[in-house]
Amino acid sequence: MTKLTVLIFAVMAAVFLGVVAYDLARAKKTHTQFHIKHCAVGFLMIGPAVVLSFVFIMLPILFSLGYAFTDYQLLTPDKVKFIGFDNIADIFKEIFSGGELLTAIKNTAIFVVCVVPLQIIMALGLALFCSRKVRGAAIFKVCFFAPVVISLTVTSYLWLTILDPAETGLFNSLLGAFGIPPQDFLRDPDTAMLWIVLLSAWQGCGYQMLIFLSGLTNIRSDLYEAARLDGANAWKRFVNITVPGLKSSVLYITITVFIGACRIMVQPMLMTGYQEHTVTLSYFMYKQGYDFGFVGKSSAVALLMTIFIGLITFIQKKVLSEK
Amino acid sequence: MKKKKVLLDGSGNEITVVKKSSRRVVVNVIYYTCGAVLSLFFLFPLIYMLAVSTKSDASIAASAGTLEMFLPDFKNIGSMFSNYKKLFVEYEIGKYALNSIRYAIIVIVLNVIINGLAGYVLAKFRIPGKNFFTFIILFLIVVPVETSIVPLYMIVKQLLNIKGTASILGIILPATISVFNMFLFMQFFQGIPKDYEEAARMDGAGNLAIFFKIILPLSKPIVATVAVFCFIGVWNDYLWPTMILVNYPDLMPIQSALTTIQSIEGITTGEVMASLVITSIPIFIVYVAAQKYIVQGFGTAGLKV
Repeated sequence: MTKLTVLIFAVMAAVFLGVVAYDLARAKKTHTQFHIKHCAVGFLMIGPAVVLSFVFIMLPILFSLGYAFTDYQLLTPDKVKFIGFDNIADIFKEIFSGGELLTAIKNTAIFVVCVVPLQIIMALGLALFCSRKVRGAAIFKVCFFAPVVISLTVTSYLWLTILDPAETGLFNSLLGAFGIPPQDFLRDPDTAMLWIVLLSAWQGCGYQMLIFLSGLTNIRSDLYEAARLDGANAWKRFVNITVPGLKSSVLYITITVFIGACRIMVQPMLMTGYQEHTVTLSYFMYKQGYDFGFVGKSSAVALLMTIFIGLITFIQKKVLSEK
Repeated sequence: MKKKKVLLDGSGNEITVVKKSSRRVVVNVIYYTCGAVLSLFFLFPLIYMLAVSTKSDASIAASAGTLEMFLPDFKNIGSMFSNYKKLFVEYEIGKYALNSIRYAIIVIVLNVIINGLAGYVLAKFRIPGKNFFTFIILFLIVVPVETSIVPLYMIVKQLLNIKGTASILGIILPATISVFNMFLFMQFFQGIPKDYEEAARMDGAGNLAIFFKIILPLSKPIVATVAVFCFIGVWNDYLWPTMILVNYPDLMPIQSALTTIQSIEGITTGEVMASLVITSIPIFIVYVAAQKYIVQGFGTAGLKV
């Protein structure tokens, strides 16, 4: 690992020196100069950030990329072998033979497909609701935003208690009032993921509501006045003024919610543990790498996942910015 | 509601005004009712958490199915805070909260200095290779970092060989660098006119002095935003500290300690809920106190990227 780090460092340094040489050559051409003392101070000041981001951001990404093609195991770091695309072939084999990985992909897909539209529509609705200029709208805004504040850990344990399978749990005691026997919401393979979707949207949408609200305030109010004078009704004003005005917010929110949803892990981890009906892709990756020590396989999954997320993000950007 | 306009120039006018205002009352009633229902939807779990945190197992069972589920345990008003007392005295939750606060303060100071300096150089200096740095920063913002959490763990444990009580370095160091904060700083500093620095330079101030005495004080809003984000990040982080400190429970921040407390034998639901309340209160206070800066940060994040 140390050798590899030195190698990566050497490559980065070479690239950097090349860039510096290029900049210096261009400066010569345009007859501008770099002051040596000024540059030295600049490098010193940016130094800590460069070193730290190299070690804690660049290196993990590069290692993850590199280990995807090895059989690295956490407990035997000395016996690393380069095995080419074997990991990725294994992954596809596991997917097509319906293994654990396929379940993880299926669960993640269910989560993403449900939570992204749900959360965006909830956020947009709440933002429109709060944008009405009346007394009390600010208080509603605070109420809707409150769940965003608490951590994923607290949310998970709180909902775990609310969905308690015992008769005294909040939802089960409500069901009991209608004479329905207590349900084990999170053990039921059909509903467990949907509850996680619901509580994730419950917790997350206040954040996106704020972004929508700041997008709404950027729409010029005289546009609405003009439309009203022209006799446009509320729906027409919404479609023709609000929607186009929110385009950049929608783009940003769709992409961030999508990426966040693909990474879901803490909620299933704390609420159900490693169960077949709730294991997600990130959780699978974490379990393989950290608990089982198969860093190679875990990294290969991470690589494929990153490529997939990047691809979808790119497509979303293209589609949404064309409209 | 506020003012009654009565137009007297025509006979029909008064009636229209009345009609309009009564319609507005109806709209308002609908609006506030919807708002109250929606607010309840978002708040009921939190209210439930507060209510249950005051109850013993027996009171929870007794109140099940009635409206009292959402009310504190008024029947045993004397022992309302016994869950909290037990958490602080027996389970030492205060120790973990203090750990979290300590880590957060160190991270805030280092994060502001390190990323601030970098943002300052990127915004104001002419050095070769700057465009390259800026490009890499923008690239790193886009790459999802969470997928590399296992390699990061290996770097901390195997490459840097961080073990024992030094493990807190494994929590603090990765949190001190944030390309996003660097980007925020860079953007803010670009908006500061050059005159300030030049005036200070004429007086013979060095670059560091200019940064700490002129630039940072001029950038209070962005420093506050970054500080608040750092605090929230450190306080709410669960997975990474749990991975790093799994063998050192005494050093755990509060979120990781929640898992430990949750799995104590014989712990009651009320005590678990009380631990969640204790975990959430500081973050609520920070949000209320620093609302302005958080919204500012969201605004920058939401519109510029």
